[in-house]
Amino acid sequence: MNGFAAFALKEVREIVRTWRIWVLPGIVLFFALTGPILARYTPQILGAVVSDQIPGLNLPTPTSADAYAQWMKNLSQIVLVTVIISYGGLVSGEVRSGTAALVLTKPLSRTAFVVAKAVVHGVFLVAAVLAGTLVTWGVTAVFFDGAPAGPLWSGTLVWLVFGVLFVALMALLSVVLRSAAGAAGIGIAAYAILSAAAIWKPLGRYSPAALTPQAASLAAGQEADVLWPVLTGLILAAALVAAAALFFRQQDL
Amino acid sequence: MSAAIETYRLSKVYGRTRALDDVDLRVEEGSVFGFLGPNGAGKTTMLRLLTGLARPTSGSARILGQDVAAVGNSVRTEMGFLPDVPGFYDWMTGEEFLRFAAGLFGLEGGELHKRLGLLLGLAGLEGVRTQIGGYSRGMKQRLGVAQALINAPRLLLLDEPTGALDPLGRKDVLDMIASLRGRTTVFFSTHILGDVERVCDTVAVLNAGHIVAQGPIDELRSRYGQQKVVLEVTGGAEGLRADLEAAPWATRVASGSNGTLEVTITDLAEARLQIPALVAARHLGLSRLEAGEMGLEEVFVELVGEKAQ
Repeated sequence: MNGFAAFALKEVREIVRTWRIWVLPGIVLFFALTGPILARYTPQILGAVVSDQIPGLNLPTPTSADAYAQWMKNLSQIVLVTVIISYGGLVSGEVRSGTAALVLTKPLSRTAFVVAKAVVHGVFLVAAVLAGTLVTWGVTAVFFDGAPAGPLWSGTLVWLVFGVLFVALMALLSVVLRSAAGAAGIGIAAYAILSAAAIWKPLGRYSPAALTPQAASLAAGQEADVLWPVLTGLILAAALVAAAALFFRQQDL
Repeated sequence: MSAAIETYRLSKVYGRTRALDDVDLRVEEGSVFGFLGPNGAGKTTMLRLLTGLARPTSGSARILGQDVAAVGNSVRTEMGFLPDVPGFYDWMTGEEFLRFAAGLFGLEGGELHKRLGLLLGLAGLEGVRTQIGGYSRGMKQRLGVAQALINAPRLLLLDEPTGALDPLGRKDVLDMIASLRGRTTVFFSTHILGDVERVCDTVAVLNAGHIVAQGPIDELRSRYGQQKVVLEVTGGAEGLRADLEAAPWATRVASGSNGTLEVTITDLAEARLQIPALVAARHLGLSRLEAGEMGLEEVFVELVGEKAQ
């Protein structure tokens, strides 16, 4: 086993044995479970509450597309914010606690340190979201008449590129900023800017800013051209991890 | 003899503070080297530069023949390091951390098993199943020493290794350091003079970022020992003490054991002439007059002055 593999294995064990195993998977699974149920019964609840004020209100019958839309909305908001907050101290946490100084004076390069973290936590996010998708797919099948696989899984896979991009961004921010809260703040600002940037057509078509709207379109069963956003998203994620490694190599610890 | 550590005009500046200033240092391979200095002298900065955790502002450092600026995994494979406050993963047990550290060196199988047993014993952590988060500071320090030895390093860098230990733990660590003499170069920073006197063969004294003395510990003692005389007189020595304190060639007069006076001097020849005259003027008998040997503590105080107090 080389230094990279030993450190990556440490990251996996750290996920399993600390709060990390509960927070992200817990949030993903909670919304995977409740999303379809909420989508199924929201019109009925709404109807019961406002029927006195608005007589004759006719709410449409919910479909699996509503459950999928709920899932995509939860991924793009709650899950993404969870990723940003929980990874604000991905690297800086180890620098502050002194563990980085101990492991980086052993045969583990700073590049391997950063890349191992980004890869392991990227895979962790993918695993948690795929498990959540499986759950939401099953619950949708129970509460609705049919749950087509294609829209849900294609939309989720496209969103995962966006999620992985933010893991990479947080890796960079946690190298550049020693404050986890500061990194999370800038991460949330980056998310807001990227969301707004999708309004501009070139960015909304070719850049990673298009990933969330395109993922939502796919989940709704619509056509979407995702090749460029996926490609630029993956390239940008790799570039962010490379930049994180480069910055980290220059830093005094 | 080749050098395990060699620095040339090594400097580190933080803002307006010059933490290290043109430090030239040579540590011979196989020696146990004490890096002495008061708090804030720059000892930890020096170790951070030597381990590649920080970059020098100017100058260069070589570890085991390789430039630290280009230091790669090949040098780190032969090096062990204990920071002043070692950081561990609190969710691991001591044994798990040692296994993890061994994994970074690619150690496995029988060799790993043998070293684990040895080092857990050294750290007094055999059978301890508590997570590191529940360890006392002393336990963490002992684990820190153990992890620094996991790869049987050629060069061991220790930053204040005995600072958090009780007397027994301190003795164990110092015995361990002494046992490595000749096989492993040990470079350890400390402000505890007793530790240095006990195990080091060579020493450098750092003060305010400057090396103020460097050499074999016996040479350093004798160099400064020539500037001290011990005298014993018959009768009351209080009046004589006042005379000695007034002498221009005496910098310090202290009462030693059995009524002796220990005089730190600037001019030995002058002292040898004047002291008998002063004794005679007080109508006292001179029982003993000899060159004394300065302890390392006195050398240290002499070199770093008030800052060391």
